[in-house]
Amino acid sequence: MSAFTHARTSDRIRLLLRRVLPWSAPVLAALGIAAVVAWPDTYLHATAARMFPLALLAVSVCVVTGHAGLPTLGQVAPYAAGAYTTAHLALHGVADAALHLLAAAAAGAMVAALVGVVLARYRGTVVLMLSLAVAELTTITASQWRTVSGGTDGLAGIPAPRLLPGLPPLLDDRAVLLYAAAVAATATAVAMRLLGGNRQLLLSAVRGNEARAAASGHRVTTYLWVVHAGAGAVAGIGGALLIHTHRWITPADVGFTSAALALLAVVIGGTASLPGAVVGAVMVLGVRDVVAVDLPGHAPLLLGALFVAAVYLLPGGLTALPARLRRSLRVLRPPANGPDTTAPHMSRRTS
Amino acid sequence: MRVDAYLMSAVDGIAYGLLLAIAAAGLTVSFGAGGVLNLAHGTLIALGGYVAAAISTGTWASLAAAVALATVAGAAGGGVLAAATARLRGRRGHLDQALLTLGIALIGADLLTIAFGPDVLRPQLPTALDGTATVAGHRYPVDRLAVLGIAVLIAAAGYVVLHHTRAGRLVWATVDDRAMVAGIGVNPAVVDATVLVAAGALAGVAGALTTPILGVGPGTAETTLLLSLVIVVCGGLGSVPGAVIAAVGVGVVQTVGVIAVPALAPYLLIAAMAVVLLARVSPLQGEVGS
Amino acid sequence: MTAPSPARYRRGVAALAALTLAASATACTNSTADQDTVRVGLLVSLSGTYTTVGEDMQRGFKLYLDTHGGQLGGRTVELVVGDEGDGPATAVPAAQKLLERDQVVALTGLVGGATVDKVQTLTTDRKIPLIGANARPAFAPVGGKPRDLSYTWHTSYNSDEPGIAIASYIKSQVGDGTVYAIGPDYQGGWDELRGFTDTFTKLGGKLANPDGKATFTPFPATENFLPYLNKAAEAKPKAVYTFYAGAAAVGFVKQYRQSDLKDVPLYAAGFLTEGSVLTAQGAAATGIHNVLNYSPTLGNAANQDFVAAWSAKHSGQPTTFAMASYDAAAVLDRALAAVDGEVTGPKLNEAIGKVGRVVSPRGDWQFHPTEHRPVQRWYLREVKPDGPVLSNVLVQDLTTLPTT
Repeated sequence: MSAFTHARTSDRIRLLLRRVLPWSAPVLAALGIAAVVAWPDTYLHATAARMFPLALLAVSVCVVTGHAGLPTLGQVAPYAAGAYTTAHLALHGVADAALHLLAAAAAGAMVAALVGVVLARYRGTVVLMLSLAVAELTTITASQWRTVSGGTDGLAGIPAPRLLPGLPPLLDDRAVLLYAAAVAATATAVAMRLLGGNRQLLLSAVRGNEARAAASGHRVTTYLWVVHAGAGAVAGIGGALLIHTHRWITPADVGFTSAALALLAVVIGGTASLPGAVVGAVMVLGVRDVVAVDLPGHAPLLLGALFVAAVYLLPGGLTALPARLRRSLRVLRPPANGPDTTAPHMSRRTS
Repeated sequence: MRVDAYLMSAVDGIAYGLLLAIAAAGLTVSFGAGGVLNLAHGTLIALGGYVAAAISTGTWASLAAAVALATVAGAAGGGVLAAATARLRGRRGHLDQALLTLGIALIGADLLTIAFGPDVLRPQLPTALDGTATVAGHRYPVDRLAVLGIAVLIAAAGYVVLHHTRAGRLVWATVDDRAMVAGIGVNPAVVDATVLVAAGALAGVAGALTTPILGVGPGTAETTLLLSLVIVVCGGLGSVPGAVIAAVGVGVVQTVGVIAVPALAPYLLIAAMAVVLLARVSPLQGEVGS
Repeated sequence: MTAPSPARYRRGVAALAALTLAASATACTNSTADQDTVRVGLLVSLSGTYTTVGEDMQRGFKLYLDTHGGQLGGRTVELVVGDEGDGPATAVPAAQKLLERDQVVALTGLVGGATVDKVQTLTTDRKIPLIGANARPAFAPVGGKPRDLSYTWHTSYNSDEPGIAIASYIKSQVGDGTVYAIGPDYQGGWDELRGFTDTFTKLGGKLANPDGKATFTPFPATENFLPYLNKAAEAKPKAVYTFYAGAAAVGFVKQYRQSDLKDVPLYAAGFLTEGSVLTAQGAAATGIHNVLNYSPTLGNAANQDFVAAWSAKHSGQPTTFAMASYDAAAVLDRALAAVDGEVTGPKLNEAIGKVGRVVSPRGDWQFHPTEHRPVQRWYLREVKPDGPVLSNVLVQDLTTLPTT
């Protein structure tokens, strides 16, 4: 194929992209979920539904890492709190899904508030390593506290929740998928709303120059602590979804692996974008649980390839992609434009 | 009797700690001096271990060849990492590096399992190294004594190179001010690459030295990476004496600690790391360092 | 930022083409089978810590297929393999794919107890028989209700059975002396050690451990067992009982021979020296007495055929993992032969309940009518040279379990 054909095709694509791109993310997400729901394949429904707990964990990590500027592996602690709270409510006959979500959010916020007392006082690599300790301690505590966790083998056969009293249990794979998608979308939207406007300005000022923000009277550590606790509520809801979509849990699910996958999903998503984190999580689990089933034994290889590809092909993450696409297409048009002024929105260096 | 037992465990803790110090040495160098958060470090150690286990057949000559080839393999792996991270340098954060090196680690682990199989391997040692010696009325493995000696040598050599030679000073200078290094006619990119290759070689040696004692298998990369990270962070990034002290501390915690307070054994390592971090670093500080 | 080049687009096109190929290859494997073909799912660890066990189980099952013309019960078998990885997080999606996309008539394999615990609920919901060939967990009741195990079968054992089987033998060997019990700190370790300590103390035996309870080492974090072993030596036990598997088993055995416990007799659940770990342990493992439901040196005809067929294909000796998976195929062979017409989960499950005596390399066994696991002999084995290689050589029969 010649470069010439490329240029002509890309010209047309470029115009289209310009108009479509700003709307592409939410519309594509909605279309994607609708397509999966419509597809008559329960395996697909169950697989897709199982991605939302990690997606919400990633959203929570994104709030702490991308917005509060604290790179963290520790959000599995509130995730675990939400999950075990939900599991025990369900095991003790409380079936109301809304109650589960509220209790899980509260438990998550409380645990994150506790952890945040320490974490919010540090920055950069120190936070990363301290939060690694938090992740490890979470999983070890879960393994040792057998009355709550059922030991290292965990809990299985947890009763399904009910959306409303009197409705049948939420068991059908398609219904579970719709429910999980709705909860995840709502929680993400609320988090985005809460992080918008003045708060966003404030947080980016803190990330940009903390000394200056502090000098102008902002109690920076307190702000970060509040954000950390709020993100804990999101992680707690993710934990509730883990129980609602899986109906089992083991200590390994709330340990380092989940924490690392969530953090990597955030980096793939573009560090500061909450929808990006969701898409990142879907990509990670899509590779591990969907693509890799046809190459048994090589899931780690494919996951590794995804990470390497993401670093080289998606600098700045998914959120930087639209800007890069626009720029790429412009460069293709002869003659070349002037100096490149539209540097894509790059995520901030985190350490 | 009790004190005597703890003393023996403390000695073992120091030896085990020095073993861990070798394992962490490469990460100390690549993070501290090379500026790369190398999550593929454990995979390079596993590579060295597999090479050593495949080559060492119980003779002294094969043992020497095993250590040499493991070092070369590690250095080659370091070269791959240097090439892979060169494009990111200076423009991207540590999280991008983590993503990249973890990706490489996962791919590398899969390739190692394909090449060497999923079994736990252990090299054959010359009989002189395979037995036990009697120290203060207790048995102690000779291979650990040998590793203890080599670890002291490597730590001393690393300290001298990094802190008392022109090459070492160039490395520190590159970390501090790349433009200045370029100004005196040295390409900082070459310094970066050299540091990563040297770190890879250290990881290869570490793999060859730890395999006889700990074995090498699919879980090796993850375990050694976690221990190395703990040591590097506790020791202060890039400081060789700091890393050695931290490693010995970890070793003692993992030997004396686990038998002194068995109820807390699962928590000890990670809790110790958190405590050391909190004690060493004042709040609002972003980097661990001297 | 680099400028895009035609090369980058070509790379993209190549990647797309590769994806399309992969997708179409997948589509081909999904073509529906005819009446005389059945699809069986094999879910084992092919990545992660337990890969060795998983590969052994895969080899065992395939060995039965290969030695029976690729057929079970007169039907051609299409074996679909899934990766269990390190546990439920990877195993459940793989199991769901086997059950729903591949529509397997039975699921077998399963290395880890946690995986069995979770996958069991999936197979039971869908009325597909699960024939586990390794760990069988305790199946804790859910919300006070016992688990429905009507579709859950195992060709292996309960995790506490090795300890139960060897306890009275060890008691007879140590007399009034004490035994130090030590194992890894996770469900498998707790079950294995509980089997021994409960039975041993019931027989009047005393543990040497300071608090009278088994000692557990952090798992899988512990690599250095010397401090534990030297501490155990202080209690002056007459013998040590342990269970470890995989990498930890290699480290434990090597370091045992380097510790103050060196000359204290070591008894173990047979996994300590089973399969490839024995090669890595080498001479350090010599003399370890251990208990398992199989030894490659058993003299029965079925075992001689099995070992010969195994040796023709693979290096090393067959393990209990391979043998149990081989037997899972044998069970399916007999059950499928008894099913008339189209094979469905309930029909196959009913047939499995009626397979009766299974001729096996471990000696003949049959399913316990309610427990759905083998009523089988347990053997005492000793690690010693068998010809040029170390092997777990049969010493004597111990007992038959379960007894009721």
